[in-house]
Amino acid sequence: MKTLILISWRNLWRQKRRSLIVILSVGLGIFAMILSIGLLNGMINQAVENTISTSIGHIAIHQKGFQDTMKLEYNFLPARGIEKIIMEENYVSSYAPRLKVQAMVRSAEASRGVLVYGIDPEKEKTISKISDYTIKEDGGAFLDSPSEGSILISKSMAKKLDLLIGDKLVLMIQDKNNEIVGIGMTVKGFFQTPVDSFDKFVVFAGMRKMQEITGLDKNITEINILLKDKKDVDAVKKLLISKIGNPDLEILTWKDMVPNLVSAVKFMDAMMYIFFSIIFITVIFSIANTLVMAIMERFHEIGVMKSIGTRPSWIFFIVIFEAVNLGLIGLAAGVSMGTICTMVLSNVGLDFSFFIESMRMWGTGSIIYPSIKTMDIVMATVIVMSTTIVAALYPAVKAARIKPLEALNYV
Amino acid sequence: MQISIKNLYKNYQLNGLEVPAIRGIDLTIKKGEFSAIAGPSGSGKTTLLNIIGGLDRPTAGEIRVGNDDLNKLNQKELSDLRLHRIGFIFQAYNLIPVLTALENVEYVLLLQGVLKEERTTRSTRILEEVGLGEYINRFPKELSGGQQQRVAVARAIVSEPEIILADEPTANLDQKTGALLLDLMHDLNHKKNITFLFSTHDQMVMEKARRLVYLTDGTSNSDTFRGHGHFKDNKIKKKSKKKSN
Repeated sequence: MKTLILISWRNLWRQKRRSLIVILSVGLGIFAMILSIGLLNGMINQAVENTISTSIGHIAIHQKGFQDTMKLEYNFLPARGIEKIIMEENYVSSYAPRLKVQAMVRSAEASRGVLVYGIDPEKEKTISKISDYTIKEDGGAFLDSPSEGSILISKSMAKKLDLLIGDKLVLMIQDKNNEIVGIGMTVKGFFQTPVDSFDKFVVFAGMRKMQEITGLDKNITEINILLKDKKDVDAVKKLLISKIGNPDLEILTWKDMVPNLVSAVKFMDAMMYIFFSIIFITVIFSIANTLVMAIMERFHEIGVMKSIGTRPSWIFFIVIFEAVNLGLIGLAAGVSMGTICTMVLSNVGLDFSFFIESMRMWGTGSIIYPSIKTMDIVMATVIVMSTTIVAALYPAVKAARIKPLEALNYV
Repeated sequence: MQISIKNLYKNYQLNGLEVPAIRGIDLTIKKGEFSAIAGPSGSGKTTLLNIIGGLDRPTAGEIRVGNDDLNKLNQKELSDLRLHRIGFIFQAYNLIPVLTALENVEYVLLLQGVLKEERTTRSTRILEEVGLGEYINRFPKELSGGQQQRVAVARAIVSEPEIILADEPTANLDQKTGALLLDLMHDLNHKKNITFLFSTHDQMVMEKARRLVYLTDGTSNSDTFRGHGHFKDNKIKKKSKKKSN
């Protein structure tokens, strides 16, 4: 066996340039595949993470009906029992109450429909990144207390409404009795998240203040929960449902709340198959083609090997090993280049700010940090190696079937 | 062990026509012979050698190597026959270009399943015997034609086959190199009692051979033996009698 491998290894280097080209094309294919999978992974992950870290958390508890309508009437009292259950749950990292109310903001210039997030600023910091996204220059600041009369709006909304920090705006809300109430608020700061739709639609105010205005007293519309590990959402959801045991409350994971992101993840999985099949084709053709050429060149020599008693199966394996060598080197080159590149970029990030508008629309942010899973690399390896062997089958069988006499006479 | 050929025929298909290459040959080759098959181009020398070596199958007739009827062996069994019992030396050396001289010789032993240590000792010894002790680690392209053909001889004898078939072994070599090679094979025949069967055009080979079978148009029309110095002319009528030497 060792000699067969040695022969095939040396055969490989008889046509250095040709072998290198094949190795390069296999390597580049794998490199491109790993990088694009990494980018896609990164984009999807960031879109998911950004959505989770701005608006929905990992798990949310609502009154049944709120998720579909966003109406104030679906509110509930966060009973001590519920908080205790959440707090004692091992998987939970943090949680915060929110009061989400649809409203209209009006400045001297214009007015817009918005969704007000009434928050408890200290608790909010533990579940969302809004505090980090708040722009600290120009004297802007995050909210301090749940009862203050100030508001946080996005930078893009400030531009549309022509508002500066310290300016007043009017918030118009339908309270729990369906009465329209208006209240003046001071703009305390601007924020900018990577999610465009979020910036266009959401403003932040103190939760106590909003409870006052709407007359909801101590009631809220949701509790947001962040887990230590996102993977546990489904299990934790089940646990919470059984522990809280209140049929009026609806407990939803991020997957339930943003189904479009889930389908994007599925779409990306489908894309992977396309990438894999492209690589599959590249590998099959470049390797099969090279081997067929190599065998034609060595027709005579294979005849000699057979005439001195080499069994057909040995010839078969020599060809297979040559292919495996080609595939392995290409794979090693591609995987190492791809992984190193992805790893570097996952720290540095790839700046797509020239696409900034569309990137914001996807909610990924303008800098993509590719991420590659070990599973993807294992997948690529398995696929390339099995493809290589499949590609080598035809040439190998052909070589094994060469009739020694014909080959000897062929010069 | 002997090779016996009875009433052997071989036709080739050429553009739909049956072309006879061998037309009724009877021949027996005994252990320890140093024999040559001569004859003009197209007389069937190489075809005969190929059939003896199991590389080609006869159209009709019987060929036995030892007790084995080659007509009854399948491809794999023929492979094994070539591996264990027959050595080949070709006109164009035909070494495996990616293996060194030593590895080329070892290759046959490897196919036979001989262990590493023994392979190396035996191959090195044989290469020394053929006068290539210094060149064992060279690749074929780094050796001269004569040296390559010596490696080929070493490869053929290392497995201690019952017969060595040499198809025009000197044709690609100059006179002097050819003579040296022939002396080497003659020595091996003498010392180790290895059977050699040549096909040749080369006058020198014919002179050195102790038996000369002359083919024309696919039949043997003379079969002469030589004891010391000169051939004992022993003309035979084709297919008229069973030979017994």
